[in-house]
Amino acid sequence: MNTEPPAPSEPPVSEPPVFSVRELWKVFGPKAGRVPSDPALAALGPAELRERTGCTAAVREVSFDVRRGEVFVVMGLSGSGKSTLVRCLTRLIEPTSGAIAIDGEDVLSMDAARLRRLRRHRAAMVFQHFGLLPHRSVLDNVAYGLEIQGVPRAERRARAAEFVAKVGLEGMEHRRPAQLSGGQQQRVGLARALAVDPEVLLFDEPFSALDPLIRRDMQEEVVRLHGEEGRTMVFITHDLGEALKLGDRIALMRDGRIVQLGTPEEIVGAPADDYVRDFVRDVPREQVMTVRSAMRPATAAETDHGPALAPGATVHEAIEAVVRSGGTARVVEHGRCLGVVGHADLLGVVAGLAPREEAA
Amino acid sequence: MRRRTIAAATAFGLLALTGCGAADMTKQSSPYADAHGARTVTLSVQSWVGAQANAAVARYLLEHELGYRVDTVQIDEVPAWDALSQGRVDAILEDWGHPEQEQRYVEDKKTIVPGGELGVTGHIGWFVPKYFADAHPDVTDWKHLNAYADRLRTAESGGKGQLLDGSPSYVTNDKALVKNLDLDYQVVFSGSEAAQITQIKQFAKEKKPFLTYWYKPQWLFEQVPMTEVKLPAYEEGCDADPEKVACAYPHTPLRKFLNARFADRGGRAAAFLKHFRWTTRAQNEVALMIADQKLSPEEAAERWVRKNGPIWRAWLPK
Amino acid sequence: MSTTVTEAGAPPARLPLSDVLARHRTALIGGLALVALLLGALLLGGGAWPARFSVDLSGPLGDASDWIIDNRDSHPLFLYFFGHVSNAVVLSVRAVYLVLLAAGWAGVTAGAGLVAWRLAGLRPALTAVAAFGVCGLLGMWVPTMQTLALMVVAVAASVLLGLVLGLAAGLSDRVHRALRPVLDTMQVLPAFAYLLPVVLVFGIGVPAAVLATVVYAAPPMARLTALGLRGADAGVLEAAASLGATGRQRLLTARLPLARKELLLGVNQSIMMALSMAVIASVIGAGGLGDRVYQALASVDVGAALAAGVPVVLLAVVLDRVTAAAGARIGAAPARGTGLGWAAAAAGTVAAALVGRSAGRLSWPDAWTVDVAAFVNRAVDWMTAHLYSGVPVIGGTADWAARFTTWVLDPVRDGLRWLPWWTVLLLVAVLALLVGTWRTAATAVLAMVAIGVLGVWDPALDTLSQVLAAVAVTLVAGVATGVAAGRSSRLERLLRPVLDVFQTMPQFVYLIPVVALFGVGRAPAVAAAVVYALPAVVRITTQGMRAVDPVVMESSRSLGATARQQLWRVQLPLARPALLLAVNQGVVLVLAVVIIGGLVGGGALGYEVVFGLAQGDLATGLVAGAAIVCLGLMLDRVTQPAGKEHHDA
Repeated sequence: MNTEPPAPSEPPVSEPPVFSVRELWKVFGPKAGRVPSDPALAALGPAELRERTGCTAAVREVSFDVRRGEVFVVMGLSGSGKSTLVRCLTRLIEPTSGAIAIDGEDVLSMDAARLRRLRRHRAAMVFQHFGLLPHRSVLDNVAYGLEIQGVPRAERRARAAEFVAKVGLEGMEHRRPAQLSGGQQQRVGLARALAVDPEVLLFDEPFSALDPLIRRDMQEEVVRLHGEEGRTMVFITHDLGEALKLGDRIALMRDGRIVQLGTPEEIVGAPADDYVRDFVRDVPREQVMTVRSAMRPATAAETDHGPALAPGATVHEAIEAVVRSGGTARVVEHGRCLGVVGHADLLGVVAGLAPREEAA
Repeated sequence: MRRRTIAAATAFGLLALTGCGAADMTKQSSPYADAHGARTVTLSVQSWVGAQANAAVARYLLEHELGYRVDTVQIDEVPAWDALSQGRVDAILEDWGHPEQEQRYVEDKKTIVPGGELGVTGHIGWFVPKYFADAHPDVTDWKHLNAYADRLRTAESGGKGQLLDGSPSYVTNDKALVKNLDLDYQVVFSGSEAAQITQIKQFAKEKKPFLTYWYKPQWLFEQVPMTEVKLPAYEEGCDADPEKVACAYPHTPLRKFLNARFADRGGRAAAFLKHFRWTTRAQNEVALMIADQKLSPEEAAERWVRKNGPIWRAWLPK
Repeated sequence: MSTTVTEAGAPPARLPLSDVLARHRTALIGGLALVALLLGALLLGGGAWPARFSVDLSGPLGDASDWIIDNRDSHPLFLYFFGHVSNAVVLSVRAVYLVLLAAGWAGVTAGAGLVAWRLAGLRPALTAVAAFGVCGLLGMWVPTMQTLALMVVAVAASVLLGLVLGLAAGLSDRVHRALRPVLDTMQVLPAFAYLLPVVLVFGIGVPAAVLATVVYAAPPMARLTALGLRGADAGVLEAAASLGATGRQRLLTARLPLARKELLLGVNQSIMMALSMAVIASVIGAGGLGDRVYQALASVDVGAALAAGVPVVLLAVVLDRVTAAAGARIGAAPARGTGLGWAAAAAGTVAAALVGRSAGRLSWPDAWTVDVAAFVNRAVDWMTAHLYSGVPVIGGTADWAARFTTWVLDPVRDGLRWLPWWTVLLLVAVLALLVGTWRTAATAVLAMVAIGVLGVWDPALDTLSQVLAAVAVTLVAGVATGVAAGRSSRLERLLRPVLDVFQTMPQFVYLIPVVALFGVGRAPAVAAAVVYALPAVVRITTQGMRAVDPVVMESSRSLGATARQQLWRVQLPLARPALLLAVNQGVVLVLAVVIIGGLVGGGALGYEVVFGLAQGDLATGLVAGAAIVCLGLMLDRVTQPAGKEHHDA
């Protein structure tokens, strides 16, 4: 099992990460503080820990960075600690131990006023059950964050109206949340978070309560927003498809630990352990894997023939090209042929055979 | 810090609002009083109709002859003394004798002064309906009561005869009497005069025999004629020890009491109430109009006043 | 909140021992009771509560009462605290009263109608106008205004006090824990029990009446405020926190608005309690309508009592409908043009008041009154004359009362008294354990012990026998009616106004008819209690029957169940929680009128409270009042199913 915290091995970025989390613990229960500091207790499994101490570790020794502009997905089944983790980021739940920094600034040492400033201006959250105020109109719900900041009424309503339009709820400004569908309510929640212009958006399973079709719409909405604004997002979900679709990087959690952290392709292509492998087994691999991981070195004859594909193209796209051409397709980057993919390589990916091993 | 400021401000505000000084609530009048700018007199009305008759006539004359506004408050007797002492009411027009209260308020605290006699004599006793007494003349002597216990039995009194008692505010020695006279009776408390009257009327309608604690003057006698049962004669002091009482109730001249301050500064109203004095018959006449003909107290008083000018003119202060 | 947290909060797995205990609970309780029975028989013997275990409080209580009377006009506590309280009450009642008088009947009626229209819509507005019209027609305008002035002040104070207490309990767990038992106790406290101490401190009059009313009406507001704050959607609160709201912002923008339904229900409950108290408080000089009822009672005039009681019912119905409709409206429609509507309402009120004033008709014209008293009295006379006795076959009401006393009340009372005192405790403990928990059983037994210690064991058992009999009658009649109404909408519609009237009619009004029908004694006391408690039981049962899942009903029909089978096999078992609630409410309500029973010859504790009040005898009245509260606690605990949160009446 890959219990090592996945060290940030990526090339160093010039600016600090938006969130930097190190060895974070959240333990619920009596005298929770002793669990992280006692190696003997920290090593126990969930059942043993509960029996010995009556405590439950929702988050165990988690470390990761969220880079500027990325969509960072935390994925796991219910009870894996992901919701607790995201609440720890703005201390809606007080972590037991560890370190959290936002733009290099220590979050855990903030006093109440600075923490409020953080919540008001830098990180806004979208909730699974929306958390809308039932007695207020859509417009006033969207303006709520601004109201808390003390923005004057006329100004905040004007700004709120802008965001109501942005999430596509024009004409519904004066309805009450109860008069909206679930998807519409979540758009209000999204607009409320956007209206305060936060540096980072935190999503806590925002679409789990929605119907599948509406869920897809909303996912596309998020993709669109991210494309337009490039805002950093931390996205919690239990839906692997959603994680793969939205995430630039995915942290997969189990029993409070991150079992694997990587790009969707890394997770699907190189599961860190059997748990992950089991998890991603039913994923349509051709949609996730790229030709970069499917290709093999080209023979001399192949370098010049066949359709050209970018290395980031999915296997799904490559299959189409290969089928159409009848032969192999070349993987070309900056005019240089990196390798080729043929029937066998692509089928190997779809079948889940480890292509790298073959290539190696 | 801020919280403390707020608390201090609130405390200060409250003090400022109430004028910082002492507030003697015994000197506050009713919020409903004086609404039309007239001088107001508050009378205590006890629950029985005789007392209502007193108050109705006094009220009528105070309002129409002397230009006062009158409020009436219905309270039980003992609390009425307390209210009188505090000035919540200005006068009690009919008191049946409360030595303990008299000692405390008139003698010790001097907040109440006697206002003379009402002119009516009250008497408490045991009564049986006239139709029963006529059929069985010997029942009117207590010595023969035990022979009738059987006929006076009710579900409530169990195996014994029923002696119907009244409101808890009334003076009664009946439990001790039954015990000390060795009677085969059970005292059943009706809890209120209204209940007692209703029950008596129902018995009378059916011509059923009954034995009840009752008092004179009372308008009910006009509707349900009753005969008193003779108890061992009353002698001065025979009712001193409530445990050992074995004699009849006394005849009590009913008295008026005024709040001391009102008696002092109440002007014509106080003088009028001190002079107010009528007869058992007159009181009964008004009471009957209220209770039997269901006239409102105002109407009843008006009728009586119209007929009896010479009587009440004497009460008016010169 | 995320699932992770919920799981983390789950209790550790049950120990096998507690499992065994839970499974054989009934057997265990039975066994323990048997052992206790044997031990008790050997060690304690029989008889009533032994005198050596009681404390005589008449000395100290008498002294306390004397001290208060002697120091009321001189001690700083009275001069600088109670005096100001009393002063403030008098001033505010007076201010409201003068405003109402100045507005005149036209202004008040128009104002009531317009406010009802703004808050609740057209129908309640028409009801309000009609209600005030009827108050005037009955010749009760001035007393109605007096009662209204008192109510306005008392309700405002109750709501304010309840809000403060509720806020404290809603926001702090410690305050909540401390306050809950107090509020629970207040809920079973009969209104009469408050009067004596209050009147001793404040004397007869409006201040005492207002304060007694506040003490009576504030607890439901406090309870519902706390309930609303505690029940606020955690998700919304978290969202507010995530946006950086301060504690105060969260309270004002999220928590309180989220609890608005409960808050409004609290106001509604406070108004209802205050109104029922306003009549009872006439005994201590509240004036107004209550005083008219009370005076009519003294001259045995049912018609006059009814004429004064009807405005009370009307006020209750209007205030109830308006606050309930306002509560239902919250959040339903977007509020637009509110300011304009209110301005129109205010303008309308002022205009009506001015018109009334210029027409010289401030007080209700005497010519416009209708005398209903004579008619009512004739009707009552006719009824009692024909029902009292000699009705063929079934016998008259007097015969029923006599039989009920001989065959039900006497055996129950004598049976209870025959039981050795410790077996009564044991019985209470076993009953409470069977329906509740160890904790409720402990409270119930302690309450009974307190009754013994206070030295009123015998009258308490007498009262208990009356309560048990009344509850039995109420339940049989109430559940049967409720089941019928639950199955027939037409019957329910017919019953509704009747239930409304009986629930809000001042009890003084029906004392005389009850005596006229059943004579003096315990039977009329039971009858009065049944009349008072029946509406709630019927209503709860009907609601319970209605709430049965229609899918279950449909599936039972599809299996070919007859109507009878459906009732017994499906509806009644499924309505069980509602039926249990009905029992509990029946008990609490019956106990609430035990003191009223004292006024018609019920004797026992009720009579002693009335006696204490009439004679200013703190020792008798307070001890009996405390014993009634203990009885109430005991009965409430014994009938309160385990694990159920305390309901809000």
